[in-house]
Formats: sequence, C-alpha cells, structure tokens
Amino acid sequence: MIGGTCVRCSGRIAALQKETVAREKARQLSDQTSYPVIYRMLKGIVLCGVCLDALPLIGNDYCQRCGRDMEYQTCIGNEGLCRDCVHGEDGQILVANRSLLRYEEGEKDLLGLFKYRGDERLASYYGTLLAITVQRFYRSIGFTCITTVPLHPQRLRERGFNQVDLLARHLGVATKIPVRPLLRRTKDTPKLSKQRGRVSRQESMREAFAWDGNNMPCVSKILLIDDIYTTGSTLRSCARTIRGHMGPSCEIYSLTIYR
Amino acid sequence: MREYLLYIKACGGSIPQVQTYVTPSFSVDRSFWQEREGCVLHVIGKTSSLALAFSLRAKVNGYLMEQVGKGRMLTEGYVKELRALAVSSVCEASSLYGREAVSVQDRLEQGWFSWEPIEESVEVSYRGGKESRKWTGAQLGFLGGRELLRRSSSRENLQEAVLNELLDGRALLWDEIETLLKKRGADAQDLLAILHSFVLANKAEWRPGIRLAVTKGWWRKQLELVCERCGSAGAKVEFTYCHTCEQGCAYCTACLGMGRSKCCTPYFLMDVGESLIRSADHLQNVARLEWAGNYSADQSRAAERARCFVANPRPGLSEFLIWAVCGAGKTELLFPSVTEALAAGGRVLIATPRKDVVLELAPRIQRVFPGAKVIAVHGSSSEKWEESDITIATTHQVMRYHRRFLLVVLDEVDAFPYHNDPILYRALSRAVKKNGKLLYLSATPPGYLQKRLVGKGRPTLGSSGVIPLFSDTHVLLPGRYHGAALPVPKILTVQGLHKRVQKNRVVAPFIEAISTSLNEDRQVFVFVPRVDEIDRVLSYLQKWLPAHAEEMDGVHAADPMREEKVLAFREKRYTVMVTTTILERGVTIPKSDVVVVGAEAPVFDEASLVQIAGRVGRSVDDTTGSVLFLQAERATSPTRAVRQISQMNNLAQKLAEQRGLS
Repeated sequence: MIGGTCVRCSGRIAALQKETVAREKARQLSDQTSYPVIYRMLKGIVLCGVCLDALPLIGNDYCQRCGRDMEYQTCIGNEGLCRDCVHGEDGQILVANRSLLRYEEGEKDLLGLFKYRGDERLASYYGTLLAITVQRFYRSIGFTCITTVPLHPQRLRERGFNQVDLLARHLGVATKIPVRPLLRRTKDTPKLSKQRGRVSRQESMREAFAWDGNNMPCVSKILLIDDIYTTGSTLRSCARTIRGHMGPSCEIYSLTIYR
Repeated sequence: MREYLLYIKACGGSIPQVQTYVTPSFSVDRSFWQEREGCVLHVIGKTSSLALAFSLRAKVNGYLMEQVGKGRMLTEGYVKELRALAVSSVCEASSLYGREAVSVQDRLEQGWFSWEPIEESVEVSYRGGKESRKWTGAQLGFLGGRELLRRSSSRENLQEAVLNELLDGRALLWDEIETLLKKRGADAQDLLAILHSFVLANKAEWRPGIRLAVTKGWWRKQLELVCERCGSAGAKVEFTYCHTCEQGCAYCTACLGMGRSKCCTPYFLMDVGESLIRSADHLQNVARLEWAGNYSADQSRAAERARCFVANPRPGLSEFLIWAVCGAGKTELLFPSVTEALAAGGRVLIATPRKDVVLELAPRIQRVFPGAKVIAVHGSSSEKWEESDITIATTHQVMRYHRRFLLVVLDEVDAFPYHNDPILYRALSRAVKKNGKLLYLSATPPGYLQKRLVGKGRPTLGSSGVIPLFSDTHVLLPGRYHGAALPVPKILTVQGLHKRVQKNRVVAPFIEAISTSLNEDRQVFVFVPRVDEIDRVLSYLQKWLPAHAEEMDGVHAADPMREEKVLAFREKRYTVMVTTTILERGVTIPKSDVVVVGAEAPVFDEASLVQIAGRVGRSVDDTTGSVLFLQAERATSPTRAVRQISQMNNLAQKLAEQRGLS
C-alpha cells in the first residue's frame, strides 16, 4: 500500500486540496443516491488533488453499447451508438461495455507500469476505479458473478502475475460480488497491442477461449473484466464462449478501465 | 517451471569436506563432480523458489559447519536429520510469510512455500580430469555416460565461449539474459545448465533476485527479504503470489523499472574473464586521444593528478574526487585518465545522472577517442546490450554491470539521483573491477564525500581552515578555465518578498536587476523554489517590464514543451526564463545573469545555490555577470554559498600569485 504518495506523480497527497476535487468529481460521476459511495471511493483513492482533477474521465455523453466518449468521436450514429458499434458485428453477444477513462498518452505509461512491469501496488488504485465505474453505470444490475479474461498458462508463467485477476479481486471485495474463473485460454495469441487492424485482431481471437467453469444457474448476469477495450474483440470472443455454454438467456456486460 | 535441487556434497578422505549446493539441473553437477573428485551427493529436496532453496542452503550449511567441525561424520542418519531440518525450516518460513502477507490472498489450506523432500543419495566416482579425458576420448561413452559426452562436444564448448563473452562483467536477471541473447543473436539450448556450469567453475555467481532469510528479532522471528540487485529491503519489497513459481514470492519495487527482481528469478553475476587481453597495437588504437584543445596550468595539474591516481596500482586507493568549480572544464580533465585506463586494457564507464547529458556526451567522447567504441546507455537506448570500450550510462543502468570496468567516472555526484541514495552507490561499487578505480566529479561535493576524500575525516567547507588543494584522494580546481574569478552573488533581504510579488507591488532591486541586464542585451535566469510560483513571478515580471513581456517564459520539469523552451532560450528567442531548480545544472548560456527569488527556501541548499551562481560568466567572451539572491528572510544557505564561492576565488587567486612568483 502506498500511504500518502500519489501513484501518478509520486507527490504528497494534500488532504485539503483533494477534498474539494473529490467532491466535485463525485458530483460529476453520480446521481443523488450513489453520491456517498462514489465520494467515499474517490476520497480513498491514492491520487493527489491535481492528478485526480486531471483524470480523463468519460463524460455523460457516451456510446450506449461500447461506452466510448462521444465528445471525442465526430460521427454520432443513430440510437446513441458510435460509428464502430453501428457498423460492427452484431451487438447481441455483449450487452454493453462501460469504462471510466479515455486511453490517453499519460495513461499508457501508468497502465504499462501495472501491466508489463508488474507493479502490483497499482492494483488497488485500478480496482477502486473499476468499483467507481460499477457504481456509476451498473448500479441497478444485480450481477451473479465477476469473471476475467484469462491469460494463457504459458504467458502467465512467463509473466508471473495476472493483472486482471488482481483487479477482479479488488473489485470483488469492493462490490461484494463473487469472482469466478469461467474461461481458459486455449490459443496463445500474440500480444494484441502488437497487432494492427480490427480484422486481424478479430481473426486471432476466434476460438481462443474455452469453458472452464462449474455449473452456474442459467439465467445469470455476468460481469466481464479487462484492462482496456480497443476493438472489443477479446471481450466479444470471451462472451461468445460463455454464451455458447450457458445459452442465450445469460447476459454479459463488460467493464474496462480504459476505452 | 524451473525447479531447484538442494544437495549435500560429501568428500571422503582424512578430513571430511561437506558442502551444500543448489542446482537447477542435477545432471550437470553430477558430471562436473565426476571430472573433479569422487564424492557422495545426498539430495535433500527440491523447490521452485530459488530464494527458499538458498535460505535452506545457508541453514543446512551453518548446521553442517557446526556439527562436522566437531568431528561428526555425515552418516545416513545425520542426512535424515538434515532433511527433517529442511522441512521444518520450510514450515517456519511459510508461517512467517503467511503472517506478513495477509493482504495478498487466502491460502490457508496449503503452505505458502512448496518443498518436495527427496531421499536419494548418489555416489559419484572419479572419472578423471579434463586432461585425461582427451586421451581417453574414445572410451568416453563407456566412462561418463551421456551427460559427459554431451558436455564435451565441441558445439557445447562454442556456446559456452559465446555466452562467456556476452555475459562478461554483467549482473543480470534471468529475463535480462534472455533479452541480451536475443538482441545479440546468440541462441543457447539449455541455458540454465550452461550458466550453472559457470557457477560451478567459479566463473560466475548466482543468487535469487530477492534473498530470503529468517532472522531472530528481539521478540519473535522475522522474515527478512532483501533485493540482491539494489539492496533495498523492508517496505520496498512487496509480497505477492507468483504464477511463475506457483508459491509465495516477493518482488522489489525500488528497482522495478529495471525489470522485476523476484524470489524465483535467478540473478547472475558474471566475472570478467580472460577475453580482454588484446594486442598492444589494438590497445594503442583504442586509447588514441585526438583532442586539439589545451589545458590551462591549473587544469593540466589536476588532470595529471587524476591520471596518476588511475595509473597507481596501489591497492586500497580506489576513490578519487575531482572538485572543480562550475565552468572549470571538468569533462576535458577526464581525457588523460580515460586514456590511461584504456591503455591498460580496461573498460571505462562514465555515469551521469541525466539522459540529456548522456546523449550530449557520447558523440563528444567518440570524437576525442576515435579508435574506441563508445556507446550511450540509457533506458530506451538501442545500444544497451552492445560491447564497448567506453560506456556512457545513466545512473540506473550501472546496476547491470558486475566488476566490468577498470575506471568508473561519476559525474555530478551531488545531483539528484545519487544524492544519499545507497542503491546507486552500491551499483557503482559493483560495476568497478576488484582493483578498479572510482573517480567522482563535482563542483559541490556533498559533505560525506568531502569528509572521506578531502579532509581526512574532517568536514572542510564551513570550517575556518584552508581547503587542501590536493591529496592522495582528491584534487581541487578553484578557478575557471579562462582564469577569471567566479561572480560572487549579492544577497538582498526583502521584507515580505512573496507577498509583494503576489500583490504586484514593486520590488525595486528585482525589477532593476532584470531591466539592467536586459538593457545590456543579456539573458536572465529567474529561479523560483516551487512550480506554482513560476506563473506568478512570470506575470509579475510581465506587468512590470511590459516592453519585454513577449520574450519571457517559464519552464518546469513536467512541462511538455520543456525542450523547445530551453532551446528557444539558448537561441535567444527568449531573454527571461523563469524556472525551478531543473536548469541549475548543465545549461550554459553565454552572457547571462541570474536572479533567485526566495533563496531562503529549503530546496535551495548551499550546493544548489553554488550551481545556480555557476551559470554566470562561463564563456571566454563574457567572464563576468551578476548573481542576485533575493530572500524574504535571513537564511544560512545563501550566506554559505557566497562564502564557498569567495573561498574558491581566494584560493584561485593565491594559486595564480604563486605561479606568478615562481
């Protein structure tokens, strides 16, 4: 646990300065009922006031399906969908995706520190961000369980840590939803961030997962977690596998830090 | 998953020799001992956590030393006892780990560490040394079995030679070794086994990335985790469940930026081998110095002293300080010392705190030493894994070397990352060869260095005594290369300085100093203690000097336009630059003046103020300039800085007089 130092600028956290920013941000992110919860989470987050203020939060105008910030997207389609979602594959697999932050330059470094360097202290920071996102968008949905996008066992052994698992554990503690591993990766796909283009990403993700969970009640709502939604091909591939096993009655929502 | 085996080697004979070893591949060890001596290998057990294996080795070794020293023989029953000892130590470590790592995960059902006891003893008989192997080559299959045959094949030897050369004098984590081999196009099968054979042959050392030990506290036993690479311990080491070794693990957060140092990662420290002996012609070419400049009398005296230090073979004399005032031409002073080290067949490392300096220095050094290979090593450098004669590196990269360099030069010892950082000093002392030399360069050496190297145990600055000009361990260069005195700062106390600036009330000396400089067509640095004051001071100046408002700007460390702004300032597109301490070093701008607003702030310590004053009058065309320290209240550091500067001026003057007389 990093006590008293900001995870982004590693400066000291000045409580007074942070207080006003946290209030303002909490008001922006919540309605009347969720305000206390979100405010408390923002207050507990290990960021200083300046960095908290600078977080690239996704505004109130977002794509109803993939959660993209519409202010930064010129083409707004019909029914509140962004261009990619209007033209993309059938959207029934994933009910919706929601994220809290836009993926910007400064964010890349911090996520890289967590994801590739393995700075596990950041897990609590990102876990809190996810919990805030759940409170903001998915408060009324009663989820049966949380599950994550799995890593290939080979990759996992090389890396030694699974950042998404850590996130899920923190989120599970914060929201009191049980975390269950449901999937197994069968294909060791090359790093998605190294692959260019939507089509090649979708192609490499096809059949990359297999069911690995126990029996679950058929009518269930599942929250799928990942760190970033770029084209959504990973999340959709996972969702397809889950639905294939559990039938069309189950609803799968996804949640990522960045969009 | 890599697994490590713990075994005891017992040699017979009149004096029993017993030693415990950790190995990643038992077959390598067995064939190794076959070549040396007959012995019995008692296997204790195996684990996938290297740190655990090493801590058990220490424990078993300690126990053995005690008992065998007393004359107890290593019987079968005794080995059984040791196996039980290992199991109980694992249990103990596991419960201690569980106590510390409550927040990580619930794992009560099984222990934190996995340990698999193996009850097996192997008798190894002597198969003859390497010489005998040559003439019994035909019978090898019969003699040593497959392992020996495989190891003696020529391809294997070739691989060993390549690895030996690549890893020469480096200290790398397992992942880094893999990257290095990939970058250099080498490919080794069974890498760990080859590396382990180096360890057995005493050519390398290996350790776990994080050392684990159970220590007795005053109250209860504690688990002690220390990063072997950077030496940090305690809160810097984070507990975690690791998927590589599938048990309790820990990683170091202090050196995380250089790769993850974990309990289960092997950390190899390779000694410098024989490969460095090269022909005299080659050495002469490498050490050729092509430099057209010439030294002032003072400079040549200092450079000669540094060279003598490097050439001096006396052991124990391993540290030297070149204390030269700002603008004395420190880099040039190094050339004779570097030549000396290169001619002796050694490699040279120049470490400096910042990447910009590395990038600027590398081409400069390459020009001067055309025969040597110079590489610039920093975090994102592509030359990181190359071989070289002269390496110019940022401070953190120094961590990757092990007894590689004959001469290590440390630039700006007092600058931010070195100052009081035991990690970096540790890395430095590891990068130097056993009989190598460490050369510190500084304009304002920190107190501990002065104490150690200048005053023979006494602090020198601030005391009334004279600073000795040279000794075995230092040389002082009090004057600039152009011979003119350092500009002495003027200190002014302005009551309510910060409030006046905030309320836009006139601070006459401040405005006057800047307008005088601007009228004389000079550029001005304005230093402020904090980032948020930059804007305030900038708008204040713009209000009071509207004629020059366009030519003013502010810059701070996190400024995205930082490089552009500094460049614009260098090119005189800006005349006033408001900044924090980031520009206190390294920036040389001819015809400039300095104003410090709020010199009483704690960020401006003595060293920092001396550096700031050293920005002025550096070039030959313009050796004077004005330095103004504005303070809101009286403080010690500006006074001390002024005292240091005038002390240096006096010394330089005295030296010049002496030269005039003789």
